[in-house]
Amino acid sequence: MARTLAAATRRVLGSRRRGDRSAAVPATDDTDAALVADLVEAIGADRVRADAAARYLASRDASIYKEGNAGPVCYPGSTADVVACVEVAARHGRAVSPRGAGTGLAGGAAPLGQPVVLSMTRMDRLLEIDLDNGVAWVQPGMVNLDLSRALAPHGVHYAPDPSSQAACTIGGNVANNSGGPHCLAYGVTSAHVLAVEVVMSDASVVTLGDLTAEPPGYDLRGAFVGSEGMCGIATAVAVRLTRNPPAVRTMLLSFDDVSDAAATVSAIIAAGIVPAAIEMMDQRCVTAVEDFAQAGYPRDAAAVLLVEVDGPAGGVAIAGERVADIARRNQAISARTAADDDERARLWKGRKSAFGAVANVMPDYYLHDTVVPRTRLVEVLERIYEIVDRHDLIVLNVFHAGDGNLHPILAYDSRVPGTGERVQAAGREIIEMSLDMGGALTGEHGIGVEKREYMDRMFSAVDLDQQSRLRASFDPHCRMNPGKVLPSAHSCSDIGALRASDAAGVWG
Amino acid sequence: MADFDEALTAFAAEVGTDGPVCVRGGRTRWSLGGEASPGTREVQAPEGIVAFEPAEMTVRVRAGTPVAALHEELAADGQRTALPERAGGTVGGALMAGESSIARLGLGPVRDALLQARYVCADGRIASAGAGTVKNVSGFDLCRLLVGSLGTLGLVGEVLLRTFPVGEAERWVRLAGTDPGAVRSCYTAASVLWDGTDVLILLSGYAVDVDDDLSRLAALGNCEDVDGPPELPPHRWVCTPAEAAAFDARNGAAGPFVAEIGVGVVHASQPQPPRPVEPGVVELNRRFKERFDPPGRLNPGRDPLRKP
Amino acid sequence: MHLGLDDDELVACVACGLCLPHCPTFVITGRDTESPRGRIALMRAVQNEGAPVTDDLIRSMETCVQCRGCETACPSAVPFGHLMEGTRAALAGAGRITPRWQRLALRMLRHRQLLLAGSTLLALAIRLRLVPTRRLGLPARMPLRRPPLRTSGGDVWLFTGCVMDAWQRDVHLAVQRVLEAAGVGVEPTGGAAPCCGALHIHAGLEAETKAMARRVMDGLSGDDRPILVDAAGCGASLKDYGHLLGTDEARAFSARVFDVHEWLAGRLDELKSRTPVEPLDMTVAVQDPCHLRHVQRAHQAVPAVLGPFVANVVALDDDGLCCGAGGAYSVMEPELSTAIRERKTAAVARSGATVVASANPGCSLHLAAAGLDVRHPLELVDQALSASRR
Ligand SMILES: Cc1cc2nc3c(=O)[nH]c(=O)nc-3n(C[C@@H](O)[C@H](O)[C@H](O)COP(=O)(O)OP(=O)(O)OC[C@H]3O[C@@H](n4cnc5c(N)ncnc54)[C@H](O)[C@@H]3O)c2cc1C
Ligand SMILES: Cc1cc2nc3c(=O)[nH]c(=O)nc-3n(C[C@H](O)[C@H](O)[C@H](O)COP(=O)(O)OP(=O)(O)OC[C@H]3O[C@@H](n4cnc5c(N)ncnc54)[C@H](O)[C@@H]3O)c2cc1C
Ligand code: SF4
Ligand code: SF4
Repeated sequence: MARTLAAATRRVLGSRRRGDRSAAVPATDDTDAALVADLVEAIGADRVRADAAARYLASRDASIYKEGNAGPVCYPGSTADVVACVEVAARHGRAVSPRGAGTGLAGGAAPLGQPVVLSMTRMDRLLEIDLDNGVAWVQPGMVNLDLSRALAPHGVHYAPDPSSQAACTIGGNVANNSGGPHCLAYGVTSAHVLAVEVVMSDASVVTLGDLTAEPPGYDLRGAFVGSEGMCGIATAVAVRLTRNPPAVRTMLLSFDDVSDAAATVSAIIAAGIVPAAIEMMDQRCVTAVEDFAQAGYPRDAAAVLLVEVDGPAGGVAIAGERVADIARRNQAISARTAADDDERARLWKGRKSAFGAVANVMPDYYLHDTVVPRTRLVEVLERIYEIVDRHDLIVLNVFHAGDGNLHPILAYDSRVPGTGERVQAAGREIIEMSLDMGGALTGEHGIGVEKREYMDRMFSAVDLDQQSRLRASFDPHCRMNPGKVLPSAHSCSDIGALRASDAAGVWG
Repeated sequence: MADFDEALTAFAAEVGTDGPVCVRGGRTRWSLGGEASPGTREVQAPEGIVAFEPAEMTVRVRAGTPVAALHEELAADGQRTALPERAGGTVGGALMAGESSIARLGLGPVRDALLQARYVCADGRIASAGAGTVKNVSGFDLCRLLVGSLGTLGLVGEVLLRTFPVGEAERWVRLAGTDPGAVRSCYTAASVLWDGTDVLILLSGYAVDVDDDLSRLAALGNCEDVDGPPELPPHRWVCTPAEAAAFDARNGAAGPFVAEIGVGVVHASQPQPPRPVEPGVVELNRRFKERFDPPGRLNPGRDPLRKP
Repeated sequence: MHLGLDDDELVACVACGLCLPHCPTFVITGRDTESPRGRIALMRAVQNEGAPVTDDLIRSMETCVQCRGCETACPSAVPFGHLMEGTRAALAGAGRITPRWQRLALRMLRHRQLLLAGSTLLALAIRLRLVPTRRLGLPARMPLRRPPLRTSGGDVWLFTGCVMDAWQRDVHLAVQRVLEAAGVGVEPTGGAAPCCGALHIHAGLEAETKAMARRVMDGLSGDDRPILVDAAGCGASLKDYGHLLGTDEARAFSARVFDVHEWLAGRLDELKSRTPVEPLDMTVAVQDPCHLRHVQRAHQAVPAVLGPFVANVVALDDDGLCCGAGGAYSVMEPELSTAIRERKTAAVARSGATVVASANPGCSLHLAAAGLDVRHPLELVDQALSASRR
């Protein structure tokens, strides 16, 4: 037994280059070997990887942050596996960082200080559909779109639909309190999570919330949602099922002038219409998307709005008319209504592929995610163009206009010297401008490591102290995904869980 | 970061830095979660609407404002909030009680209404949670934590709430002797109440849709207009939607009842027996209270775990 | 180690992860090391950041089926196929992948007579139960005798290839009959174009592939007749000669290549008008071979062609996820390959079909080994035509 375990551990630790002993393969040092041996014993060799390649990949997500540094990577298959990993990590004084699909844009899944990474992708099952209570229990690794597909035969869906829904996981959505186009009317993830089974930092398992209207005590699942992996590992989630609307109308409104489009957004809201979604794209973005997805967006428009109203047929028709009317009064050059499901799907496909399509413009992008009061969109967009012009950069705007959630995408080529600095500078100005307008740092992507140091621009020391109390109530020793969200002065004192050693070289 | 207005700083000064203290709202839910410990000083949250932005669909309001007064103001622009409205109840009290309106199907729960809260912490300082926008995930969600916390973690002075357009048409109807499940097909139902025999429904939305649903209901049986919701029995039970729909007065020794269908609240004649709570949840509640209120001065005697 | 990859192609990936659910190996293992995004990041680490080529990194590359499902899913148009072919070429060049026995086996494909003879031997061995067919993923029965190929006219070439010609000549004959029914004169390529080189390029044998490409182009030069291909893998390979060799001649050659369904889809009326058909009374699920769907992007042609000839043609609900065959992949990575196939057989079961139509011989063999009734789409058309003639 001991021998096979040792052999398995060796395998898991990874191999050196065949026939070349001098290769600079990294820091799988002795402490790691003991840790890995325990992890292998706890959950089996096929569920642990500690080789350089696996760790390198577990160190990064979809953000531009590349300084993550993963320890051994585990692929738990059950809550019991997660408990076992958290126990082993605690015994070795190591932190734990959960990871979903790694589509996060704020570096939330980029582990700091070589923690044990728990990659939740193998826990991807739909556990139960409970139509009487309007909920489904799912494992955290289930992909958002797979869930909605599985629910389709029942006439219901899971409402939050991040643009990354084809890939991102429910666990990641819960951790980031993710939004999506349809969250304008339906609310973000927090409004759709009833209960979460969580493995806490002491390896105990607690169910936060329940299926009742108002669970007893503090709203712990509310406090957990959006905690970016820092309050525990979600191992099962009860999500609310939303009835499919009887009728849907999707409209594409195009404008000669960005500010007309922005004014239309404000006017729609002011008129007391709550569309399911109002998305906006500017011309550069439309061009990139058309090149990729041929969604039929007018390339000559300065901006387009994708507006969707849903509900019972009568109201949908009325709301649709009113929206078109408002658009016309705001100088829309065209208003097109999707004739059928196919056309509707195509219009949305364009929107959903926007971020990726940006890569056709430039190899790198930096996507910001601030929120501003939706009545100030016109002003804010003008300021963004001004900032970006001044820094000689390219910006593409594609965003959830209905709730003022901006996504200015700065497209650039990091290989051009000096570009990185200009991108950073412009990004900083956009964030500060948004805050000055009475906005928020992030509307759906989270703080992660990306915006940590901006937190005190938005919050006072007292506010941040309160936030760190929330975190510490869940995780007194700061063992879960340490180093995120709170600026360094406010994170836990016990950063002992973070390993200082950053191994040299790319395999570090 | 905000400069706090005078009313708020005055409230903070009144709360002070030591001694047990709680906020007196409208006292409509005064005994929820226990009685105030003897010797607890009562303070009142400031009153008044700070800013209503109909085009933004938000309202900034001081916590001592009666919900009814707030809604009266919002109604001028055809809007309201998800807070329940009862004679004398305040905005702060409604949020701290965390009990949703009987129109929750249409308005959503109280927990989704709060966008930003300015509250006085145990040490007397003012903290701000959430953001001034309708969407925000900057940091941990203190707003959700505060809703339903009965003022045991912080005393709320001022809040930013989400508002909604009031339905173009609103009608209460009674459907005699119907299975409440049959009403599911009504998309505009904002409230479905069932007393074991009859179903009372609030329809709210575009007039065409409400009419549509009315004819759908008429097809189910005898459907008549009523003035409003029925008198609710005094005790509020909290359960799952499935339990509410299958509520049996005899089983629960609850007496006459009115169940909120699709939500999981039952108004019954007898109090709800204590709900079982996992030890891990009890422990977490304890830790939250300890961390947010180390001296234990905020609303001592009240405990959200003891809410029904 | 420099992998010789095009830097612009390499940096095109923005790590968004949208390709993950379309990658058969990631879907099975859930590990980033077996994902397209992960593989690209590792290529970058090696080429741009000087990371050492560890065995684990090599495993990451070897486990790729090269189905290119990631490529069609990628909104940033990352040319994953090129990147992976380049990486394999570099690794094979350094002797890090593609063991000697595999190279030898692949070399044999270039020698048509040898292959045909070898196949006959193999068929004999199978009949005598000397070979564990299931474990090796071989068909349970192989033809001992192959009916001869014959030329019926000079309108088009029908590319017959290597293994497929040896093992599944019946398919070529059926395809030829269907083409003839549409009034098209067919010349099989036979010895003129022995092997397309698809398996070789997958294994990283770039120089060999180039030599084979030149040989095929030589064999079929002299006119600009369309070259029709009934094996999706070969079609994809021939269509890529332009990129592989980078010459005008190669590009012109590639432009002549059509998947046979793609070509027929535009001539269906012709086909139908000549023979009034009674559709076959069966439910057929269309399996989209990756090389048709993700590489040639011509998979829509198969249901279009089948439509008039089969009563009930159904699509699978798995977004065209690979079946795990991947040329030699099923032999090299049997475990993963089988796990991937299980998802496909589950999708077929959900579809309610009794027969699966596959336009690629590798997929057919692989799926048939799981007990499915797999036919080439044009075999079904041929069956419908001949039933109607009777
Ligand atoms: C008979 C009856 C039936 C009801 N039925 C329903 C119903 O069906 N659905 C429903 O949703 N609601 C119902 N309610 C409750 C609703 O009416 C109240 O709106 C609200 O929940 C309590 O508000 P209040 O101002 O009276 O609070 P209070 O009773 O004054 O206070 C409640 C608690 O909150 C604390 N508190 C109050 N203000 C603050 C503050 N600013 N900061 C911190 N802590 C504070 C208090 O200290 C106290 O512990 C009912 C009330 C009654 C009397
Ligand atoms: C092209 C593109 C479009 C996007 N569009 C949107 C959008 O419209 N709206 C939006 O909100 N976001 C969007 N995002 C961001 C991202 O997809 C979301 O944040 C998503 O929820 C992340 O999910 P994930 O599974 O990839 O999580 P990861 O990135 O792997 O992790 C995110 C965070 O969740 C934590 N975590 C993961 N699993 C668990 C668990 N089981 N328990 C506890 N913590 C866990 C991690 O530690 C990390 O902090 C987009 C991203 C991309 C690349
Ligand atoms: S080619 Fe196929 S197996 Fe390889 S990375 Fe792409 S999707 Fe995955
Ligand atoms: S290959 Fe394409 S889809 Fe996959 S991560 Fe890279 S950019 Fe995204």
